[in-house]
Amino acid sequence: MKNLLIYAMEIGEQMLISGAEVHRVEESIARMCTAFGAKRTDVFIITSSMVVTVYADNNETHTQTRRITKSDINYEKLHRLNKLSREICEKNLTEQEIKEKLDLAINCKTYPLWLECICYAVIAGAFTLFFGGNLIETLVSFVIGVTVRFGILLSEKAVSNKIFTKFFSSVIASALAFIAVKIGFVDSVDKVIIGNIMTLIPGIGLTNALRDLFTGDSIAGLLRSIEAVLIALAIAAGYFLVVVLGGVVL
Amino acid sequence: MTHSEIIQILSGFIGSIGFAFLFNIRGWRLVVTAFGGFLSWALFCVLNNFISSEPVNYFIVALVISVYAEIMARLLKTPTTTFITTALIPLIPGSSLYYTMAYAFQSNSESFLERGVYTLQLSSALALGIIIATTLARIHSKK
Repeated sequence: MKNLLIYAMEIGEQMLISGAEVHRVEESIARMCTAFGAKRTDVFIITSSMVVTVYADNNETHTQTRRITKSDINYEKLHRLNKLSREICEKNLTEQEIKEKLDLAINCKTYPLWLECICYAVIAGAFTLFFGGNLIETLVSFVIGVTVRFGILLSEKAVSNKIFTKFFSSVIASALAFIAVKIGFVDSVDKVIIGNIMTLIPGIGLTNALRDLFTGDSIAGLLRSIEAVLIALAIAAGYFLVVVLGGVVL
Repeated sequence: MTHSEIIQILSGFIGSIGFAFLFNIRGWRLVVTAFGGFLSWALFCVLNNFISSEPVNYFIVALVISVYAEIMARLLKTPTTTFITTALIPLIPGSSLYYTMAYAFQSNSESFLERGVYTLQLSSALALGIIIATTLARIHSKK
């Protein structure tokens, strides 16, 4: 039971990291533990911590906790973990099988970094166009998008702080947009910055936060909401810093 | 359908695909997500001809897309989050948020408040649509 619980915890933790809602993870863990033969399972999850207690048949109890510090949205991984947790409930997988499948899910392929850079550029460019930018603004936004991705890479290497990374990215995007205006590529920074904000904005965070709140996971929802608001403030702060400095320098 | 609307639908579609790649969505799920991104803004543009209130439009689109996401998630046996978060990307009020902060910086408190409240209205409408669809789906699956 103890060993099996470790797998349930591992699957739950990885699901949470890859972007699942709290409700889904709690449900999955409870179901898996029932499939493992637990009489009763108590699961409590917030975005940064998990506590699970299982009651085995021989009146033994096991409690395990996990501290979750990462968040890295990866829906392919989530899909595989979700599939694995269903399989555990439906079939009687052996420990070895679970271990193999879990390893396979965790180490699933991701798109290469260069493609991610292009994605940032394409998203930034697309939304500059979307919000009414002209062709040149779109191109400038495209180039800034790539730079922002490298900025994120740099910031993540130096300090692993999500809020700071957003702040730093916002500074890069705004500064380059103002420089582009200064050189004379574009007339106004608005559309270029808007396009790049779309890659940084905590839209998904806020959506998940509200979903958690309304499905009854109030604490997890509140934590996510606060995080989303802080990220929005960090983006605004980065923009403000550039405007203030720009006013002094230019 | 005006010229700018077509550009918006296409660029929103491309933006959604970009996010789908960032979130490592593959295979059929990528196709479903991309179509969702296309559908969301196309529906918004169509509704715009009948309903003048943007938040109401946002609510309806979010509701329809969430239902689409719930159905597709069941068909492809994958978490709904995958489709909801990426297909609704074009509706995220990025521009509204930008102008809110730009007005805040210009100390233009009247426009700041107006924009800020509007941004909140849009995101609440979006969330409400998603939540209603999700809750309905859950009632259905509990039966």
